[in-house]
Amino acid sequence: MNRPPSSADRWGSPAMARRLRRRYAAERRFRRIGAAAVALSAAFLAFLLITMIAQGFRGFTETRVALPIDLAAAELPIEPARLKGRGADLALAGAGLEDAVDRAATNAFGSDGIDLLSPGAWIVVRDAVKADPSLLRRTTDFSLPVASVYDVAAKGEGMPEAERVVARLRARGLVSTGWNIGFLRDADATDPTRVGIWGAAKGSLLTMLVTLALAFPIGVLAALYLEEYAPKNRWTDMIEVSINNLAAVPSIIFGLLGLAVFLGSFGLPRSAPLVGGLTLALMTMPVIVIAGRNAIKAVPPSIRDAALAVGASRVQVIFHHVLPLALPGILTGTIIGMARALGETAPLLMIGMRAFIAAPPHGLTDPATVLPVQIFLWSDQVDRGFVEKTSAAIIVLLVFLLAMNGLAIYLRNRFETRW
Amino acid sequence: MSGVILLILILGLGIIAWASTRMRALGFRRRSSTRVSSLPHHHGWYVALWTAVPPMIFLAIWSATSPALVTDMVLHVPAAVQLPAPGFERAAILSEARALAAGRAHGAFHALSRTLAPAYDRAQTRIDWIATAIVLLLALAGGAYAYLRVKPGFSARTRIERVVLGLLLAASLIAILTTAGIVASLLYEAGRFFSVVPITDFLFGTHWSPQVIDPRDPGASLGAVPLFWGTFFIGAVIAMAVAIPFGLMSAIYLTQYAAPRVRRIMKPVLEVLAGIPTVVYGYFAALTVAPAVRQFAVAIGIDWASSESALAAGLVMGVMIIPFVSSMADDSLAAVPSSMRDGSLAMGATPSETITRVMLPAALPGVVGGVLLAVSRAIGETMIVVMAASGVATLTANPFASTTTVTRQIVDLLTGEAEFDSPKTLAAFALGLTLFVITLLLNIVALSVVKRYRESYE
Repeated sequence: MNRPPSSADRWGSPAMARRLRRRYAAERRFRRIGAAAVALSAAFLAFLLITMIAQGFRGFTETRVALPIDLAAAELPIEPARLKGRGADLALAGAGLEDAVDRAATNAFGSDGIDLLSPGAWIVVRDAVKADPSLLRRTTDFSLPVASVYDVAAKGEGMPEAERVVARLRARGLVSTGWNIGFLRDADATDPTRVGIWGAAKGSLLTMLVTLALAFPIGVLAALYLEEYAPKNRWTDMIEVSINNLAAVPSIIFGLLGLAVFLGSFGLPRSAPLVGGLTLALMTMPVIVIAGRNAIKAVPPSIRDAALAVGASRVQVIFHHVLPLALPGILTGTIIGMARALGETAPLLMIGMRAFIAAPPHGLTDPATVLPVQIFLWSDQVDRGFVEKTSAAIIVLLVFLLAMNGLAIYLRNRFETRW
Repeated sequence: MSGVILLILILGLGIIAWASTRMRALGFRRRSSTRVSSLPHHHGWYVALWTAVPPMIFLAIWSATSPALVTDMVLHVPAAVQLPAPGFERAAILSEARALAAGRAHGAFHALSRTLAPAYDRAQTRIDWIATAIVLLLALAGGAYAYLRVKPGFSARTRIERVVLGLLLAASLIAILTTAGIVASLLYEAGRFFSVVPITDFLFGTHWSPQVIDPRDPGASLGAVPLFWGTFFIGAVIAMAVAIPFGLMSAIYLTQYAAPRVRRIMKPVLEVLAGIPTVVYGYFAALTVAPAVRQFAVAIGIDWASSESALAAGLVMGVMIIPFVSSMADDSLAAVPSSMRDGSLAMGATPSETITRVMLPAALPGVVGGVLLAVSRAIGETMIVVMAASGVATLTANPFASTTTVTRQIVDLLTGEAEFDSPKTLAAFALGLTLFVITLLLNIVALSVVKRYRESYE
């Protein structure tokens, strides 16, 4: 401190100028590191999204091969009258359509022609016949999905041998690419060309319904109690602490709770949307309570006082004035909590939602799977064809999440009130 | 009648009670000259609750107890003498007879169940009629009692509001019940585990291979130290090595340097990272990052590198955690009084000197709290490690080697055969309990650090 001033401390001295240059360089460096951190984080996000979209986009398309089938020569024992209404699938399933398709494939592409087609190819023929029974009396050019190996090859990532086959077919002008409608319509399957996302989407929908029906009312009522009624004592402190802790408990612990309590003690069915919804509701409720309390806290006391002054009771103040004013904030929190629940996988694995389920669930207690678990299941498959399906399912899930978050942001902007 | 129809009946009676009482209240409101303390719908709700709630409570108890009553009645029919002694077979025959009587089964495996089915049917019908009678009686008695009390001077409102208050309290108690349920179920199952495996073997053993458990000494292959190390290594070392510099520098740049427009765009973009489902990160880690890490390891001369390396899982987890660290750091930097920053700048310090020498030290408790919260999140994270980390427990500090974590092992242990009694299944609950305790402690410490620090400036 009491050091005599040396020449280095004088303004304009070369030493001072050097030190200043060093300090300014350090400043610029620090600033650039900061910008780089932000840019790299954003770049990672972009890389992830672009990888998923580039791969997943191909999952929405399928490769088809043109194949003439002479259904008249096959002489299938089908009465056109039975093709109307409910019995049609049954009548066509046992009628030998599969054999007719296989024969046509062998005729057109040689002895391994059967392997060229997807196992689901005959279903395309079946649906066409159902729509137009006159096809049974003539030769028709069908455009049928190819097997997974060749589908991958046609998209440029397959085995060399399969790629040669595809190139040969392409030279003959038989290969085309079309939208894979079945991906949005069907449920899980063992063959990647036949899998669909609808079964999992419906399972997610049912699970979310249970979650919402439980977590929203309980969360809102609990928030109202804690903000409007709760006396300050040990009990309410305990409630408050446990709600804050619940929000930070790892999600897999909720899965263990669901396994031990809902499956072990109550004996509810495994893999059911009901149990999944119950488990996720316990997880989502604290999020809604915390968001709800903040929204209720933001309602100014003058509104409560005004209502009380004209003779309303506490309950009337809460349900006629405070709750409607706080509702946009509560809804925003609810949507964010639901979006988190929609993306959750680990607790659902615990309660058995990782089974192979080939039909969409019809009720809350049917075995079901959900979108994230479906992604997890497909990611485990060795078949190359599942890679693009997994990414396609990820795109579907991200679109749902984006829509929910967009809605939350819209609600926040639309109804945000400044008192 | 079945439970659903009874429920509809009760609701119907409740609606009728509500509507008729409301009419009556409207009537005496018009007629009487005295002041009526409650609105007509308060009276309606009062009677409706008295009509519907007692039968509902009865129905809930009844549906839990009536199956036993039915079985009891069936056991008194003459044919029941042929039933075998209590045990598995007896239970099987009875449940088959019950299914036959309810029309849920189409064929019978035991001949006796076919004989007992009609008895079941009769008993069930009788029990159902008794239930219907009691429900009607309760509904009518409750409704009539309440209806007679509804007079102009009767304050239905206070009574309704007492019920609403009870409902609110019950809703908030569910939080405590959930916490208690988690703790109780984890403690109970873990207790069963520790009655087989000594707790010291579990906490201090270094060998983990649950696939081959020696029944004479199950503790020998259930030592969890490698799991704890792997969890710590991936979640607290590698992930934090990514998340802390990136999160902290992002927060500093966005709060101190960035133009408002950049901040408005980049902050939500970073927050998207936290909103992506972890299964997507896991898939990305397994499909893209893990092979890249392996190639990198091979390129620098490590040719035994695992494709399920700790590094791949940790890197991706770190990216997921960036927004947590950055938003916590953002908050604590904003909480530093601006007079401190202005003072430093006025003394001639550059912004970066101000940040590193004045603001960061002042914001340190908040940043540390945020990092602890992030660690707690990272070690509880499941899907990334399930998909990208290995299932083999090793004690290694090499980021290119394979490691496993607590959460990955919980998933591995509980999928597959699901019997509740093997030490293998119960070990998952012991791991869950450990995870719960550790994350809870981390959260409590983190929150108290953040809280104490906030108070010091206000």
